[in-house]
Amino acid sequence: MDIIACIKRVPDTSEADFIKIDPAQRDIEKDRLAFKINNWDEYALEAAVQLKEKLGGTLTAITVGPEDWNEVLRRALAMGADNAIRIDRDVSADDAYTVAVILERVIQRLSYDLVLFGAQSEDFGSGQLGAMVAEMLGIPHATLVTVLEAEEGKVHTQRELEAGTLQSYTIELPALLTVHTGINQPRYISLRGIRSAMQKELQVMALDDPGLSPETLVPMVKLEKLELPPKGKEAELIAGAPEEAAERLAKILKDAGIF
Amino acid sequence: MTLTDYKYGDVIHRCFRCGYCKFPINWMDVNNCPAYARFRMETYSCGGRLWLTRAWLEGEIEWSDHLADILYSCTACKNCEVKCPLSFNIDILNMMIAAKGEMVERGEVPSPVKEFLENIQRQGNPYGTSRAKRGEWMEGTGIEAYQGQEFLYYVGCVGSYDTRGQETARILGKVLQKAGVSFGVLGNDENCDGNEVKNLGEETLFEMLAEENVAQFQGLGVQKIVTLSPHSYNTMKNDYPGFNGEFEVSHYTQLLQGLIRDGGLDVSGGYNATVTYHDPCFLGRWNEEYNAPRAVLKSTPGVQLVEMARNKDGALCCGGGGGNFYIDLLGGSADSPARRRVREACETGANVLAVACPNCLTMLEDAVKAEGLEDKLAVKDIAEIVGEACGIK
Repeated sequence: MDIIACIKRVPDTSEADFIKIDPAQRDIEKDRLAFKINNWDEYALEAAVQLKEKLGGTLTAITVGPEDWNEVLRRALAMGADNAIRIDRDVSADDAYTVAVILERVIQRLSYDLVLFGAQSEDFGSGQLGAMVAEMLGIPHATLVTVLEAEEGKVHTQRELEAGTLQSYTIELPALLTVHTGINQPRYISLRGIRSAMQKELQVMALDDPGLSPETLVPMVKLEKLELPPKGKEAELIAGAPEEAAERLAKILKDAGIF
Repeated sequence: MTLTDYKYGDVIHRCFRCGYCKFPINWMDVNNCPAYARFRMETYSCGGRLWLTRAWLEGEIEWSDHLADILYSCTACKNCEVKCPLSFNIDILNMMIAAKGEMVERGEVPSPVKEFLENIQRQGNPYGTSRAKRGEWMEGTGIEAYQGQEFLYYVGCVGSYDTRGQETARILGKVLQKAGVSFGVLGNDENCDGNEVKNLGEETLFEMLAEENVAQFQGLGVQKIVTLSPHSYNTMKNDYPGFNGEFEVSHYTQLLQGLIRDGGLDVSGGYNATVTYHDPCFLGRWNEEYNAPRAVLKSTPGVQLVEMARNKDGALCCGGGGGNFYIDLLGGSADSPARRRVREACETGANVLAVACPNCLTMLEDAVKAEGLEDKLAVKDIAEIVGEACGIK
């Protein structure tokens, strides 16, 4: 089975108090942040690697981003991807549609049975990209996949809906799936693995390689303004002896009608 | 990997599980291997783990989450190595670390270990907190950045980020200031020392950290290092020379011992308490420094030092080594080593349990709370005891 996994690089937002909006209010300030592979994409990659290990075939990892995004592709190569492609473009001002147009152009030239995306990104979180690319490629798709099993020509999937409800589908290949966390336990990538991946080839494409130009990329959504939410009410830190603190907490919960 | 590729393939079969690895030095019971004490199953003792490792490498058993948990519950406390009577005892812990290393290369480690190592890759500390916050512990202390002073005061991850560890890091800084020691710190530029990374089997990441730290220290002209944590002390003293990093490394208790002895630090304010001292593994068994912390305590007026039944090379580990202060595979039970240890401390009649390691401090303080012993036993770092004795609030 030939698999394509589309991945991206996102800021490590575990330090929420570090997130600052840049003066133009279109992006965040990135200089003090660390970056990593998008959480959902790590699960998608692991699912792809597990399928490849079981069924054979190839795995190609693709990202659309500037040069420092190579690091997520190195990670994919270290996990077990055979090929890595980066389409060179600063996507910080792009909407999901623009990135979908680029990915569709690249993917349609490749041989594939299955395309995997993370269900959403940690930074913009639109959850649109996979479904858009599937529509553009004209192939079936399922989103929020938490179970994935493959056999000749088809995949059996489960999607996780509200309150843990599961929907089961059997989908003919080629198909596209967006993968939810919990589908697997992504493996640890050792530093030795990452260093070995530095020796592997990484293909960099310019926008015009698949016949695109900046002028042909017209976004459907334009970001007007990025801002931090207004501060809510201050949290109350309950002080005092454990007995007093417990009494105070019980009163708050009671007043709120919780019990 | 098969057994033929495994570095200790020609020796691992020699363990016939005599069981000595579980004993403390005086044969008082079989619970001195912290993981065995917690789970009371042979598989969790060093001998059991070696047999499991061999079975795994020979293909007799499959890798499983449970197997990974068993191997990673080893705290690298070195009790087994001290107690094993056989000639290959020098390598029994290395055999375990090499097996963890194989799991690392296969990517098959317990989730908290993955998180621990990825956080270090990304932020240089196991908590995943930003590198840009590493120096926050020192705000308002007047502690200077290192710029050629006599000592580099290396704080470490727990002292830099853990709230309780930060308190100790600050007090030690103030004690050193009071003694007029010429020292500076690296603040946000400090990186993980790598001791736990090595013990978790991530050899390449450890090598990178050691190389980067050695290059940084040499670039700054560092010659003498004093560490808050015995973990940093251990790796800088014993591993960094292998990376051309020859520094004069002291644990802070060794520095304080000399300062008090030579009159450089006035502890006449004293500290009135009955104190028992818990030997941290990376100061004790790993580096055989049993005297300096005790000498500091004994030279502090008012301290009455009493020993726990298990002490020095027979001490029970707090359960925090080998990354377990974070990955916590030994917690959640009255049999957790930290809880066993605080009960043992209480039996001495001491009202203060002194430690010389920020990992032990957090592990044992949590255990005191879990045991409901707050009224009977306070856990204090020796830096805090000395701080109080020399008038630092």
